[in-house]
Amino acid sequence: MVRLPLVLLFSAVLFSAGVYGVLARRNAVMVLMAIELMLNAVNVNLVAFATALRDVVGQVFALFVIAVAAAEVGIGLAIVILLYRTRESINVDEVNLLRW
Amino acid sequence: MTPDLDLVPFVPELVLVAAAIVGLLYEALARGPRYPVHLAVALAGIVVASGATLALWRYGGDPTVLAGAIATDRLAVLARLTVLGAAFCGLLLGTHAIERDPAAARGEFFPLLLFATTGMTLIVAAADLIVVFLALEVLSLSLYVLTGLPGRRAASEASLKYFLLGAFSSAFFLYGVAMVYGATGTTRIPEIANALVGRTGEQGLALLAAALLLIGLGFKVSAAPFHMWTPDVYQGAPTSVTAFMSAATKVAAFAALIRVFDVGLQALRWDWTPLVAALAAVSVVLGSVLAIAQADVKRMLAYSSVAHAGFILTGLTASNADGIGASLFYLIAYSAMTIGSFAVVGVTTTRGEDRTDLDAYRGLYRRDPHLAAAMALFLVSLAGVPPTAGFIAKVGVFGAAIGAGYVWLALLGVLASVAAAYVYLRVIVLMFMVEPEEALVSDPAPLPRIAIAIGAAIVLVLGLFPGLVTDLVRSAAVLRW
Amino acid sequence: MLSEYLPIAILAALALLFAVGSLVASGLLRPHRPTPVKLSAYECGNDPVRLPRGERFSIRFYVVAMLFIIFDIETIFLFPWAVAARELALFGLIEIAVFIALVFVAYVYVWKKGGLDWAGGSLTPIEAEAASEAPGPREEVGIRAG
Repeated sequence: MVRLPLVLLFSAVLFSAGVYGVLARRNAVMVLMAIELMLNAVNVNLVAFATALRDVVGQVFALFVIAVAAAEVGIGLAIVILLYRTRESINVDEVNLLRW
Repeated sequence: MTPDLDLVPFVPELVLVAAAIVGLLYEALARGPRYPVHLAVALAGIVVASGATLALWRYGGDPTVLAGAIATDRLAVLARLTVLGAAFCGLLLGTHAIERDPAAARGEFFPLLLFATTGMTLIVAAADLIVVFLALEVLSLSLYVLTGLPGRRAASEASLKYFLLGAFSSAFFLYGVAMVYGATGTTRIPEIANALVGRTGEQGLALLAAALLLIGLGFKVSAAPFHMWTPDVYQGAPTSVTAFMSAATKVAAFAALIRVFDVGLQALRWDWTPLVAALAAVSVVLGSVLAIAQADVKRMLAYSSVAHAGFILTGLTASNADGIGASLFYLIAYSAMTIGSFAVVGVTTTRGEDRTDLDAYRGLYRRDPHLAAAMALFLVSLAGVPPTAGFIAKVGVFGAAIGAGYVWLALLGVLASVAAAYVYLRVIVLMFMVEPEEALVSDPAPLPRIAIAIGAAIVLVLGLFPGLVTDLVRSAAVLRW
Repeated sequence: MLSEYLPIAILAALALLFAVGSLVASGLLRPHRPTPVKLSAYECGNDPVRLPRGERFSIRFYVVAMLFIIFDIETIFLFPWAVAARELALFGLIEIAVFIALVFVAYVYVWKKGGLDWAGGSLTPIEAEAASEAPGPREEVGIRAG
């Protein structure tokens, strides 16, 4: 039996890795993947809590999160393609038309 | 095994989704000029949904229906009506933008706007954190696409920024939801409240959750320091979309914030109100100060929107019916002001290319007195000068904050308002005191004028006769669960 | 508890052993007599014209991937329903029918908008490059698949 705090620590590390990825990566697709990592870290959390609480709601929620994450990737890729067609680059640093 | 289905409180969303699907199929299957039909379908959806929402004001059933997913209280009704009003004006502005610039026009605008509106009306009524999250995603995903819909460079860049930061914040919100679930064993907001009142063991986890939820929702309401996306997105998005989302997203996200924090996490209010106060203080100061430095009207209004998010948060520090009522009033007033001012920006923009720089407003009074007068009214209201809605709204939130002991926050808000008044007065001076450089003519199209007239009427009526809605707001501020 | 995972662990170990073992064994046993012809990269018998570093995939693949992700993931709602279909009875059937109808609307939209056309659909990166170098604003930049 895996203990709950370990799983929570694992998901916190995954989440933090995702946050780091979002902040450090310059390629929009990589940032997108880092965001997916964050969502999946939350999924680990939800399923772990559902197991610990002997409750099914957390698992249902995890299914919804998977579906939403897929929709997000779809939209994200679409936006990246749109930007690529207008700009020929998906480097986040070069997205600089709007600056203060 | 059939669950008890009371769909009545869910009818507004069903109507909106049905209208959106009709629009989507029409866009896919029809040929030829399509915008009149699109507009008719979308307007019909919004009007019917508004009627269904109005009927819910006297709904006498359970506080939550559909297995605890949907709340039936008056907060949901009032916030939904505000969102639907914003969507109505957004539709008018968007149709005008399509007529003006057919090259960048996409028929998907109408179904997407309806989907975004569905997400917003759903989130204000969501009584289960799963539904809150799903509604948040429905509205966000639709708005990301709406932002990039014209496909031009600025719009697609704004869309990408909005998407990346929005998805980032959604992940924080979701992490917070998971923590709440772990701390209380449920995702239903009323049950969370009961669990937190009863137990003390998992309060640490719940506090962490409150911080994460505040970060996630703070992004959506564009409160500083989570406002980085706001100026870029407001500037890059089509002006009609900016008008819609600046008003409706704020209403939706704040209503969700009220429900999650003032119902679900009510037991922890001594712990989270200082956080809200800090966010409010930073937003008010940063938004007001940075607005001064802007040379672009859309960016200026974006920073102003950050400041106004701070004022609304100021009201929420009270965490009681007074504060919620003041914040609701502020949301309604702010929606009217921001939609009106962005509608004026959309009309002034029209001169072949986009004109959103301040110079475009030089001598607007000479070119178009009505437009200049309306813009002046909105700006005066944004600054919080009587006798406009903005003044009454500010008095309300500052009063609530003082009543809750946050005197320093109210003082800070007053000081920031004075500083920000310079921003708005500068534009008014440009419009009325300076001669126009070129013979620019503003767009005489009727649709945006209707939206501007609606906004101006609400700003004036709420400013002169606030008593008309005070009772409505008060009864909406009493949350029952 | 952990013993339930023992077969998986054994399988993983065997797979690893086989892969490493094959490589090591072939390295030890095969004769090693290189000639320039043998060392050249195999590309239809010719020297490679250019290295495939950072070669871009056609943007069409992204469109297909995007659509695949969205439609593929919908099945995760069918699995829980399939497990509990008998208990949910008619109510569950109607619910899932509504869900599938909604997905079908999206499918009709994608189909009619040309998201499934491989040939006529999207621009390749090179075409996009050529188009973006052309003077004047380019209006046809919307994503056809939405």
